[in-house]
Amino acid sequence: MNIILVMIPLSLLLLSGAVALFFWAVNKGQFDDMDSPSLMPLEDNPPLEKDD
Amino acid sequence: MNASLAVKPCYHCGEAIPQGVTLQAWVAGKARPVCSEHCLKTAQWIDSTGLSDFYRLRAGASQRQLGEESLAAWQNPALLQQVLRSKGKGLWEVCVLMDGMHCAGCVWLIERVLLKLGGISQIQINPVTRRAIFTFDSERVSLVTILQALQQAGYRPRPLTADSLSNARSDESRTLLKRLLVAGFAMMQVMTYAFVLYMENLSELPEGTKELFRWLGFLVSIPVVFYSAAPFFHGAKQALKVRMLNMDVPIAIAITAVFSTSVYQALMHQGEVYFESVTMLVFFLLIGRYVEMRARHHAVDNADALVRLTPSFAQRLLADGRLEQIPITELQVGDQVRVMEGAHVPADGVLLSPRTLLDEALLSGEASARQRLQGDAIVAGSLVLEGPLDMRVTQVGKDTFLATLAHLSTQAQTQRPRLSRRSERITANFVLRVLVVSSVTLAAWLWYDSSRALEATIALLVVACPCALGLAAPAAITRALGVLAKRNVLVVKPDALETLTQITTAAFDKTGTLTEPVLHGEQVDAQALQLAASLARESQHPLSRALVAANILPLLAVTQVQSFPGLGLEGVVLGRKLRLGQARFALAASAASGLGDAPLVLGEDGCLLASFNLDEKLRTDAILMVTQLKNDNLGCAILSGDSEPRVQKIAQQLGITRYLARQLPEQKLHFIQALHQNGERVLMVGDGSNDAPVLAGADVSVALTGGAELAQANADVLLCDGKLSNLLYTRQIATQTQKILRQNERWAITYNTLAMPAAALGFIPPWLAAIFMSLSSLVVVLNALRIGR
Repeated sequence: MNIILVMIPLSLLLLSGAVALFFWAVNKGQFDDMDSPSLMPLEDNPPLEKDD
Repeated sequence: MNASLAVKPCYHCGEAIPQGVTLQAWVAGKARPVCSEHCLKTAQWIDSTGLSDFYRLRAGASQRQLGEESLAAWQNPALLQQVLRSKGKGLWEVCVLMDGMHCAGCVWLIERVLLKLGGISQIQINPVTRRAIFTFDSERVSLVTILQALQQAGYRPRPLTADSLSNARSDESRTLLKRLLVAGFAMMQVMTYAFVLYMENLSELPEGTKELFRWLGFLVSIPVVFYSAAPFFHGAKQALKVRMLNMDVPIAIAITAVFSTSVYQALMHQGEVYFESVTMLVFFLLIGRYVEMRARHHAVDNADALVRLTPSFAQRLLADGRLEQIPITELQVGDQVRVMEGAHVPADGVLLSPRTLLDEALLSGEASARQRLQGDAIVAGSLVLEGPLDMRVTQVGKDTFLATLAHLSTQAQTQRPRLSRRSERITANFVLRVLVVSSVTLAAWLWYDSSRALEATIALLVVACPCALGLAAPAAITRALGVLAKRNVLVVKPDALETLTQITTAAFDKTGTLTEPVLHGEQVDAQALQLAASLARESQHPLSRALVAANILPLLAVTQVQSFPGLGLEGVVLGRKLRLGQARFALAASAASGLGDAPLVLGEDGCLLASFNLDEKLRTDAILMVTQLKNDNLGCAILSGDSEPRVQKIAQQLGITRYLARQLPEQKLHFIQALHQNGERVLMVGDGSNDAPVLAGADVSVALTGGAELAQANADVLLCDGKLSNLLYTRQIATQTQKILRQNERWAITYNTLAMPAAALGFIPPWLAAIFMSLSSLVVVLNALRIGR
């Protein structure tokens, strides 16, 4: 049972790390535009268009 | 006669290529047919920059290219000052509206065009609002160079004033997102700790372990209560200051009560702690807040459509006859200004040229060219169809008709009764009752068995948490907005979903809403139409556009085109010298008489070749829509600026008995206000900008986006693909949303009324109460997902 004394602080540390990372991303404007990235082409080389 | 099928469309803009035009652009090593020099230039330029992938990525044809505008005015420091925002070290930020941008492929192209220029960083492009925001280094690249590159790529860049870069909005959204995430992360953690304590009921835990998990819950919920929940406390404080009750008040009380009791219990080393309930409550409520905020921001994006209409600079005529390009903010009353064909009039004024043709559709709402003679007043925002024209400025900036119109619509907007949020009101009332019941319970238990008092009261507070009630509206509305967006219906103001189900009368604008201009097809000779359409293609006149649309044969090449202001066009097609326009222009005097008032005539050497009767056609789905609305017992009315007989005809076709012709915006607004006084609720459907104040004054306004963009600024709902039948669909979804919302509210109240007595009597332990509360919220969310199925 004593292992939780290590695991819980560790999980809290990880948690604060995740929150810090997320705050950094938000401040960098990563979440400012939620509309266009989903519309962006997913691949740089889409299949060639058929010649008519 | 389906020759048109064999004709390849222009590779760039997708329009039919006129016969005889053999222009070819080399894109990605292949020859591609294009329709004009301008399209050729754009396609070649895109290819030369190595960005030909654009043609594979884009979702549809691009805008037809109409030659380049001079961008030299953007070198003017006074103008730059208005649109640029300094970011220090020679870096400047600018927000540019990109006319002609329509899909993700455009985002790809614009991004790469900008990156290729060098000196540009932090590019943000939003295809929905058609805006690009980027930072550039003035040492390495100038704004004019950037704009020129964008123009060469086939767009019309219009820098917006620096106000549009304002931080307030992104700050709000960023802060809320952070609060939401902190609450979400903390909730997951606290839930784990809470589960350990729930388990205690199954197997005995050492007191020390329980103690540890209580304090862990406390530790992790601190940021939630003091950081994430801050907006609720702030809102409650604001409301209480003015002696009001809003949704924030009960929530703040609930959070405070649950949190402080939990802290007290933890300090007393006994009883239950409810940190998981607090974090969950805050997290779910913040989700609702976030969804609401995004809808609000979207509405603001549409609001500055007015800015797009007024041109940023004007050409002032100097005393010696030279032209000088100046920002319109520097225009003064008395200045003489020249406006080129295809440009917008920069200020109100008096016409100095002998005659001109203006499209005032943006102001009058009726799409037809108006002839203006020397000395006539012309208004800012009109499109010059045949120019150039000279004018003397009589009013500038805030005094112009356009600005007055904008002011009128904001006024109507503020007068509209703010729709109270039903769900919030119920929640507020409900929680107030919960608080009263809780205190009674507390008092009763203290008197009966004080050892169980706190536990029962807390269970009651948790089980009766307004979560499910508070979520009922946001969950249903979010789902409905998503479903509608898939059908190209944009709901700018979510309130409209509620009001749409309550309307009693639907009022329609005629031109552009119920009808579209079309050529009277019966006795038109296809060959003559082919000649006329080829010639008409050279002009942007609304009548010309109808001609081109009606033509089914391939267009022919036209040379020596000459435009006669207010009269018509002349050009050589297949070696024949043709004139298209008014009878007195296209025909010799003898032939012209006795032709009545056919609006458009094609003549050769003064002899009549063909005459065209232009008419307007009901939109295909107009009758279906009106019938359906009538079946639903709604009154229908037509409010039009057009003449009596034309309105009457359309009204008869649709079976609408209530119609008003020759209406000015104020009269339309009066009509709606009169209906309001009879207790009616009005839906207004329109598309012209003179509808703007009318749209704002109606209970629900719907705009078809095919028309003037200005109307978008005031409409609650936008039908983006111009299909009237989508209005019925929207109404159907709105009704369903209301139904589900009521269901959810009833469910939440039923759950609470059943669970509350049980909890108050001490039958539900607090940990079970918390699980019940989450389950009740889950039911609400799942039920909301049924909308649109």
